Formats: sequence, structure tokens, C-alpha cells
Amino acid sequence: MDFENAKAQMRKGVLEFCILSILSKGDAYATDILNKLKESQLIVVEGTLYPLLSRQKNSGLLSYRWEESTQGPPRKYYALTEKGNEVLKELESSWRELIDAVDSILKK
Amino acid sequence: MKKTFSVNLGNRVYNIDEDAYLKLNAYLERIEGHFSDQKEREDIMNDIELRISELFSERLGVNKQVITYTDVDEVIRIMGDPHEISGTEEESRGTGERRSGPRRIYRDPDDRMIGGVCGGLAAYTHIDPVIMRLIFVVLLFMGVGLLAYIILWIVVPEAKTTAQKLEMRGDSVNASNIGNFFRDEFESVKKSFRRRK
Repeated sequence: MDFENAKAQMRKGVLEFCILSILSKGDAYATDILNKLKESQLIVVEGTLYPLLSRQKNSGLLSYRWEESTQGPPRKYYALTEKGNEVLKELESSWRELIDAVDSILKK
Repeated sequence: MKKTFSVNLGNRVYNIDEDAYLKLNAYLERIEGHFSDQKEREDIMNDIELRISELFSERLGVNKQVITYTDVDEVIRIMGDPHEISGTEEESRGTGERRSGPRRIYRDPDDRMIGGVCGGLAAYTHIDPVIMRLIFVVLLFMGVGLLAYIILWIVVPEAKTTAQKLEMRGDSVNASNIGNFFRDEFESVKKSFRRRK
């Protein structure tokens, strides 16, 4: 069995969940999201974020708008859509279920 | 003294050293080769360029106005390897594995002795071109080789474009394969250049 792949998939799923929940606390541009993910050591290289953002945007979970920046290039601010909110709620409940389930097995 | 280029990244202009430019350009192209869906690719490349633009602007100031090779190196380390960016699913696809597509017979202008017929047939059948030529020489002595060769020369078109050359080898025509193709071509030109020196 390919454990590296399983680990990567797990991380990716959790990452998508975390991106949505970061955005649920307020709109953010890629660097904001990156800083939060880096703080919690969920992300090692920044590049991994962009395909996830693009996918979430294309499946209608996110929208974006442009904002000028005083230093640096214009910023692309992402926001959660209605659908994104719903998906986040579903993910939250399945996340708790998963934790409980895994915990109960680990404790035995 | 170094030559610099000016590049537009996320709608801002940066002066960048020639070696740094080449490195960055190759890096971006490698990332691009990992995404086959056009819309997705544009999105991702835009976002990545925007972020690189931001990282560059953090590195510039009054005393530093040019992006150097070291800057590009650092930025690439921050952004990560193209394999990591595209995720594990695409890893096997991105490691230079060529996906096959429809194959067609062409005459190979890059591997020709006379009309490129044997070279083209060799590429199509994946037989060594030398063996293909030997077969034709044998056929020539049997009396049918010359006629067969001339007919093929007339009937089979020459592979002129990159897409046709990929088809001749049975590689599918997509951005990543075209990228690979040019890299190979570039390497072979470089090698033959060195040999001449």
C-alpha cells in the first residue's frame, strides 16, 4: 500500500476544509490564507494552495474580487459563497464525526 | 556587468537579471506543463505569478532594484516544486512520462538520409532507423526497394510542425509534451553545438 499517497490525500482534504473555515471568518487574499496555514504548519510549500483555490472557485464555493494594494501588486480577495458555507457546515460535522470515530478506536 | 530583462508579473514591472529570468521562466513553464485544463491552468498561473510578484516586491527597495538569481531561487523554494504544486495524483503524469496519442506516418526531416522515409517509418514503428535503412537496402537488391521508396516519398507527408512530429512518434499533442519536445530539441542542439566546439 502506498502510505505516502494516503498521507498526502488526508492532508489535502484537511487543507480544503481549513481554507473554507479561514474564509468563513472573513474575506482574505492568498497571502493571508498562506500565513494562517503556515502558522499551523499545515502547508510546507506555498504552491500547493493555488490549485485548491482554483478548484474551490470553479466548483462555486468561492468568489473573488480585486483590491488595490499600497505596496505590491493588486490583491485577489477570496470570499465564501452560499454554497461554500453549506459545504463548510457539512465538512465540519463530518470532521467531528470522524474525530470521534477515530478517537474511540484509538482508545480501545 | 549583467544584462537585465524587464518582466510583467501580476501587472507590475520588475527588472530581472538574465540568468534569473531564464530560471524563473523555466520554472513557470514546468508548472504550466502540469495542468492540462486550460481554465484551471490560467487561474493557477495567474495566482502564482501574483504571489511571486508580491515576493519580489518584498525583496526590492531603494538599495536593491534588480531581481537576482538568488531571489528567484528563494522564491522557488517558497513556492515549491511543480510536482508538489500539482499534487500527488498528477505526479506520475508530470515526471516526463509521455502520454500516447494517435500515431501517424510522416517523413522525418530531422532523421533523413535521402527523403526521411526510413527515419519516419522508424519513428512510427519504434524500430532503430539504421535497421529500417538496412531493410530498404536489402529490398533494393531484391528489386522492389527503389520503387517502394519513391512511392513512400511521394505519398507520405513530411512532419513539419511540432504537432506532426509528436504524432509521428505517437505522443499526444498537449502542452506538456510540446514542452518536453522543445526541451529535448534544445538539449540536442546544445549537445551538437558543444561537439562542434
